[in-house]
Amino acid sequence: MSTPPAPTSGAEREAADTRRSPEVAGGSGRAGAVERRTTGQRLGKTALLAIVFLWCLIPFLWMFATSLKTTDEALASPVPWQGPWGWSNYLSVFDQGFGYNLRNSLVVASMTTIICVGIGSLAAYAVARLELGKKALILTGILTVSLFPPVSLVPPLYEVWRAVGLLNTYPGMWIAYIAFTLPLSIFILTTFFNAIPKDLEEAARVDGATPFQTFYRVILPLAAPGVGSAAILVFSYAWNEYLLASTFAPRDLGAQTVPVAIAGFSGSVQFQEPVGTIMAACVVVTVPMVFFVLILQKRIVAGLTAGGVKG
Amino acid sequence: MATATDARPAAAPGGPRPNRNGISERGLARLFISPSITAMAIVALFPILYAVVLSFYEYVGLQQGGFTALGNYVDALTDGRFWDSVIATFVFTVFSVTFEFLIGMGFALIMHQAFVGRGVARATILIPWVIPTVIAAQMWRYMFEVTPGFINWALPFVPDDFNWLGSSGWAMFTIIFADVWKTAPFVALLLLAGLQTIPEEVYEAGRVDGASAWQRFTRITLPLLRPAILVAMLFRTTDALRIYDLPAVMTRGAFGTETLSVLVQDFVIATPNPGFASTLSVLTFILVLGVGVLLVSVLGKELVLGDEA
Repeated sequence: MSTPPAPTSGAEREAADTRRSPEVAGGSGRAGAVERRTTGQRLGKTALLAIVFLWCLIPFLWMFATSLKTTDEALASPVPWQGPWGWSNYLSVFDQGFGYNLRNSLVVASMTTIICVGIGSLAAYAVARLELGKKALILTGILTVSLFPPVSLVPPLYEVWRAVGLLNTYPGMWIAYIAFTLPLSIFILTTFFNAIPKDLEEAARVDGATPFQTFYRVILPLAAPGVGSAAILVFSYAWNEYLLASTFAPRDLGAQTVPVAIAGFSGSVQFQEPVGTIMAACVVVTVPMVFFVLILQKRIVAGLTAGGVKG
Repeated sequence: MATATDARPAAAPGGPRPNRNGISERGLARLFISPSITAMAIVALFPILYAVVLSFYEYVGLQQGGFTALGNYVDALTDGRFWDSVIATFVFTVFSVTFEFLIGMGFALIMHQAFVGRGVARATILIPWVIPTVIAAQMWRYMFEVTPGFINWALPFVPDDFNWLGSSGWAMFTIIFADVWKTAPFVALLLLAGLQTIPEEVYEAGRVDGASAWQRFTRITLPLLRPAILVAMLFRTTDALRIYDLPAVMTRGAFGTETLSVLVQDFVIATPNPGFASTLSVLTFILVLGVGVLLVSVLGKELVLGDEA
């Protein structure tokens, strides 16, 4: 991985991306296209863009409208704009202990992220920069782990977790998540470490820094954007994971995570489809994530392209 | 792997950097990489070996019976349910990946053209991808459900009582649809990153030579986008083969939507049988990892050749 003609690295790509920011993009690079653009073409492009937006957002509008409907008749009506409206579904969500689910998911996802990015960045530095025997073998191993179907680990892990008492606990989940997110973080971080000029390390060495000092004083701060990207992707994996969570902690409110709760909500009355409650819970989770994505979209994309190039 | 740290610290004949400041670079490298290797060995490598062991034993409920050698494998491979789930998994994979690429390519081209609000556009298309799959599953499940019946109401030619989730064929369609909705924008993002690396000059040259828009797409865009397409294809295919959340939530595996992951999980919680579950998980492992390794080796070769050309 050190020698092949590395395609554009994540960090460089991101730089390229900033250069093509909306203000600049119309300038020098696309003079030909700009000349020809007419009002009609502009309208056409806007219309096309609108299709993309509608595709992504309409289901969310339906979700939000449904979460605000209060009575059974309203919930059974297909017409999205038919009330009566109210917040009672949201009260019902938190009555069923959704606050605990949010806490559990936050703890599990944070533990996964801190440990995974911590040990992953060490491994990535070793792969990217240090002299390491059997490098090809190690990388093949990591790539193979990233291809593992998680479900094939569920029966044996369940038996082990049952024996050592890790079912319905936080570590039961984050220990497993770390192993599944390590390959991606190592690939992302390796790309970012590779993009840092070697001269900086040489300079640090000349100044008498040990390899470890070089790593945490010079390289790690410079790779902070890459560490951020990896952290975001690992966090969202752990936050969204359902298969292992629903197997290892299916009901216990002390460990049940958000996706498991959303999949298992029951109605306030027996046999009633709890549509409104479920959609309210979905809104509670989705709204913060929308802001999260709006703020962090650059970092997310940088991480995805970096992981993609190496994967 | 990590335990051999001190075996040959200074014995790196070609190594450019000598021993320095107490710990050798090679030693540090091993020290740095060992926590990751250990974690992956404990959680990924050991369980799959343990699954192989368990798969040779017969279980009655959770009670271990005797050693049955390949008995469980014979049961699994002669069980129609296993083959049905293999078919369901591959049907899902082929259709979802195909449509994700067709729609994702369209979206990528649109967003590549649009100059205004690229940041907002990118954030918008990231939202379906970033929300938990379980949320997407519940959302689409209730939109397709007969009550409240939003989809039946919104589509003009569909009867109000059409049961999408409760008929074979259409149940799989809804799951593929939900997956395409969630993932096509993500594929678009990966392809967009590829599109942005194609220099505008190449298109200019094409225009000067009188190439039509379609010709520019098939002769310039597609060949230059090949590496990005192959990487995204690899990701999506290996991911689609592991599909669990959508069928588990939307149909619970009914009406021909029981994928391999749903099947294996069923023998862990619903009808627990560690021996048979392990057998199925070993078979799934071989199948999914086999396809993954095959794709990596074929596409990897393509990618390297593509880079050299």
